Amino acid sequence: MAASCALLGAGAVRGQQTNMAPPDRGLLEDWSLDSALAYYHEDGRIQAIEPVVDVSKVFADGQALNFNITFDALSGASPNGALTSHSAQTFTSPSGKAAHRFTTAPGQLPVDPNYSDDRIAVGGNWTVPVTRVDAVSLGGKFSAEDDFYSVTLNASIAHDFNDKNTTLSFGINNEFDSIRPIGDAPVAGSDYSLSEKQSGAKSKNGMGVLLGITQVMTRNWLTEFNVSADRFHGYLNDPYKIASVLDAAGGTTGYIYESRPDQRTRKSGYWENRVAWTAQMSTALSLRYMSDDWGVRSDTAQLHLRWSWSDHTRYVEPTFRWYRQTAANFYMPFILDTGAPTAGYESSDSRLGAFHALTYGVKYAQKLPGIGGRAESEISIRAEYYQQTFNERLAVPTDLRGLDLYPGLKAILVQLGWRF
Amino acid sequence: MKPSRLIRLCAVLAVISLSGCSSLGVKPWQRDVLAREDMQLGSNPLDAAIDDHMYFSKEASSGGRSYAGGGCGCN
Repeated sequence: MAASCALLGAGAVRGQQTNMAPPDRGLLEDWSLDSALAYYHEDGRIQAIEPVVDVSKVFADGQALNFNITFDALSGASPNGALTSHSAQTFTSPSGKAAHRFTTAPGQLPVDPNYSDDRIAVGGNWTVPVTRVDAVSLGGKFSAEDDFYSVTLNASIAHDFNDKNTTLSFGINNEFDSIRPIGDAPVAGSDYSLSEKQSGAKSKNGMGVLLGITQVMTRNWLTEFNVSADRFHGYLNDPYKIASVLDAAGGTTGYIYESRPDQRTRKSGYWENRVAWTAQMSTALSLRYMSDDWGVRSDTAQLHLRWSWSDHTRYVEPTFRWYRQTAANFYMPFILDTGAPTAGYESSDSRLGAFHALTYGVKYAQKLPGIGGRAESEISIRAEYYQQTFNERLAVPTDLRGLDLYPGLKAILVQLGWRF
Repeated sequence: MKPSRLIRLCAVLAVISLSGCSSLGVKPWQRDVLAREDMQLGSNPLDAAIDDHMYFSKEASSGGRSYAGGGCGCN
């Protein structure tokens, strides 16, 4: 099933960036390594374990190489899009196997308890200085999971000027995805009980551009501003999501498969500021605005506060993130059966609904003696709590009163890190 | 703050940044603080990647700091 992702290797050249690796000394130990092991757990739903390893090296001529590998193992229960009901509801897993049929108790959110997926992703990035003030970067990533393959290629160029206080960068990104849904792809908008499927793989492709400027403002202040746009087209449905069809009183009369447009264009603006307030304390504040032609608008604000002590050999970093999005035009938590044929697009995927989310996190890291001739290494532990709350709630028919139709989401993330 | 107001604010700040570039910045010998690890953009790439993974799979937005998308079937 569809699984998870990491955005490693998707970076354009970012101005004013200092790679943590030292200059080339001609030996293998000059490679630097960054690794993490993350555990993610949703309240009553999915859990995931994700180890990540990233190695990089900066050569004497300024070239930089980076490779990374990510593995995801997911299991648990995933919402299938149907609405909570006062009656028991029975569903068939996408595989169609009789053993995978499941029944949801009255008052419970329908989740497929047979959810499981593994994913592996490998990526790399190569940055080459072409003049004293220009650098070109090329990157790529391949990922594979049970029902999904993806290839991403990107290229970017960065130009320094104003005594290297200003960097302009421009990058392009292409993504090619192939989806082979378990149990085949359902006909979009079709009756769930008829199980109309289309055999073969589906695909979607996307292209994005990113224009960025990084500016040293003062001795203690660095700012970055990006504008980006991307356009995806092809199969954008979630083949495993259905929507409940209700009669006027709120009784469930059936289900239909979701149906989304076959293209999507997004635009975003991103602004980040890093300020060193004292020798021990700094902040990183980022703001993002995104909009797309599905009707989704979102605002994101994220603050990292870092406080170091013991000559910067230890630090603690509290984090706070606020996020808000509007619903897609075709988002409907349920569909009222009016007797007329359904027209247009519809999805009850809660990720397309209107909600806000808060993240609270903290990280502690400590420097240790280096390994393999390196000056130092670092171990860290990080924990985050994430909570989604729905903002818009439709008036519900009589039969649905007393049910929690918008349960939201609560999740924790714990991560161990080691780099040298 | 409404989204339209936020993006207008970002645009104004970007214009100010661009127009003021030539008078901003530091001399090479004044980069001591900027060289600190906590002042590097993307100083914790794995933290950012793992967070992006979580947000990409649970929200309708992605990208901004880098490209949108993500090469996974989770959303």
